[in-house]
Amino acid sequence: MRYLYELRESLRIALAAIKANKARGVLTTLGIIIGIVAVVTTMTAANGLQNSFKESISAVGSDVLYVTRMPWIITGNFFEYRNRENLTLKEAQKLAARLSEAKAVNPSSYTQRDIKYRANLMEAVTVVGTTDKYIRVSNALPEYGRFLIPQDVQYKRNVCVIGSEIQEKLFENTNPINKRMKIGRYYYRVVGVMEKQGSAGFFGGPNFDRQIIVPITAFIKTFGGANRSFSISVKAPSQEEMADFEYAVIGEMRKIRKLKPTEKDDFSINQMNTLMNAYNSVMGVIVMIGLVITSVSLFVGGIGVMNIMFVSVTERTREIGIRKAIGAKKRAILSQFLFESSVICLIGGVIGLLVAYGVTALINNLMMPASISPFIMAVALLVSILTGVVSGIIPAIKAARLNPIEALRYE
Amino acid sequence: MKALDIRNITKTYHMASEEVRALRGVTLELEQNEYIAIMGPSGSGKSTLMNVIGCLDTPSSGEYFLEGVDVSKMSDDQLAEIRNRKIGFVFQTFNLIPRSDVFHNVELPLIYGGLSGADRRKLAEAAIEKVGLSDRITHKPNELSGGQRQRVAIARALVNNPSIILADEPTGNLDTATGEEIMQVFNDLHAAGNTIILVTHETEIAQHAHRTIRLRDGMIESDEKNGVLHPTLS
Repeated sequence: MRYLYELRESLRIALAAIKANKARGVLTTLGIIIGIVAVVTTMTAANGLQNSFKESISAVGSDVLYVTRMPWIITGNFFEYRNRENLTLKEAQKLAARLSEAKAVNPSSYTQRDIKYRANLMEAVTVVGTTDKYIRVSNALPEYGRFLIPQDVQYKRNVCVIGSEIQEKLFENTNPINKRMKIGRYYYRVVGVMEKQGSAGFFGGPNFDRQIIVPITAFIKTFGGANRSFSISVKAPSQEEMADFEYAVIGEMRKIRKLKPTEKDDFSINQMNTLMNAYNSVMGVIVMIGLVITSVSLFVGGIGVMNIMFVSVTERTREIGIRKAIGAKKRAILSQFLFESSVICLIGGVIGLLVAYGVTALINNLMMPASISPFIMAVALLVSILTGVVSGIIPAIKAARLNPIEALRYE
Repeated sequence: MKALDIRNITKTYHMASEEVRALRGVTLELEQNEYIAIMGPSGSGKSTLMNVIGCLDTPSSGEYFLEGVDVSKMSDDQLAEIRNRKIGFVFQTFNLIPRSDVFHNVELPLIYGGLSGADRRKLAEAAIEKVGLSDRITHKPNELSGGQRQRVAIARALVNNPSIILADEPTGNLDTATGEEIMQVFNDLHAAGNTIILVTHETEIAQHAHRTIRLRDGMIESDEKNGVLHPTLS
């Protein structure tokens, strides 16, 4: 209880001191504000990147395995992968026949073509040749119109389902259904538009909003299929059985490829986690570097606070003497100055958070989805208080150790 | 029990290579409710003695019992506690906290003493009433006259009901008339049972006390009862 009264007095002195030196307080706080804005914005941007990345690869599906010729993330010897045989449509059919427990098995192939509608042109758009089962391994659904149906595949129809970005840019947001557009040199009829899935395109990830889905048979007919490698997506019976299911897929693929037990796999199995892990390891490093750099500005702000605290202690030497003479112990004086520096920094932290909130809103509008999480807020406030304590501790100790007689005599 | 019992204390300062012997063996006893003046020219060790009595400083050797408690070898924080409970300071320059109002200045020792808000209010208001400043309770020091400021300082000194009120040149910054008023406050406090030590170099001020101790070169030169009766008793 007794300490509580002392602490309340310390807080009261701190607030009074800050109120009495407003201009000084504002200037000192500025350093902390800038520091907190920098740190918070870095963390928020990192969070935003991660979220939009997660969102965009969620279309990949976390319970789907992708059998490909080469792994998505190549580590080690590239040439080992380069000489692998292509995965053929026939192998995909064999795999589908063998994996009766799979929810869906779907072959796809990819190419890039310029696309055209009237005078509008988009260059190097990803064209996906696939089947009606695509929709079962991906999480996305058509927004307008329909997806591919078995007849499209069976009769090699030149129809396509376009991504939301293509509707926006190529069709300028008009209704594209049943319009004829050119993919490369061939005409395709639009039958559907996919819902918006978000993009991880800014750092080289897939952009599902900027792709066109066509029947795999029409794809082979128009873009050629003899030398293509297909990727086979296999949806596991359940999320829990992913690990076991992966072994089953590997086993069946080895049988299809007639591999001897001593031979290595000549195909790769990928899943969403592969991408996520690669992303996390790269982003982790970038965010760490960002935080270190931004922390420097907070550190400089902290030095400013320390400086002002030394001034404050010197200015109030006599007051410290009076307080000591009437019975203030060391800890009372110590907490008085620690409170002052912490409150300065906390005010800076709160203002910094408000500014960062605005910056985040701006990022959200102009660049990518971003928001300040409660966790980041808590961290920012804690960090600002910590900065206050760290930069106030030396001046506070100096004050607490003052000799009352000399302090009383100080002019 | 004696209010104060000082036995052969010395205080030596080390300044650069020089040794300054500020006190060279002072022995002094004070009964409860005594009213004494300590006099002496500058350099006599007057301030040093006052600092030791006020528990702002510890003696180099010798013993000091304050109400039977040996305070001569206490740590800084222990001394702070003693100052808080047993000593009331009144300074020449008032030494009030500038940004705080009268009430807060007076309650401050009680805050460091750990009293609750209600107790503090009761005691502080009583002390302010004793010095006749009840109508100035929310004023800041810079809104008060010199005499009023010193009254606030006296209220702060007696709010904890200390064993000793230690006044260092309490009238030094006041004109004669105001000084007399302040001395009247001390006289009243003494009449109410307080033990008062007055440090001064003015003989007229010292005359208010009942006993005068003169210091010279760090030793007690004389220690005599004042002949003049206390004005309130005459």
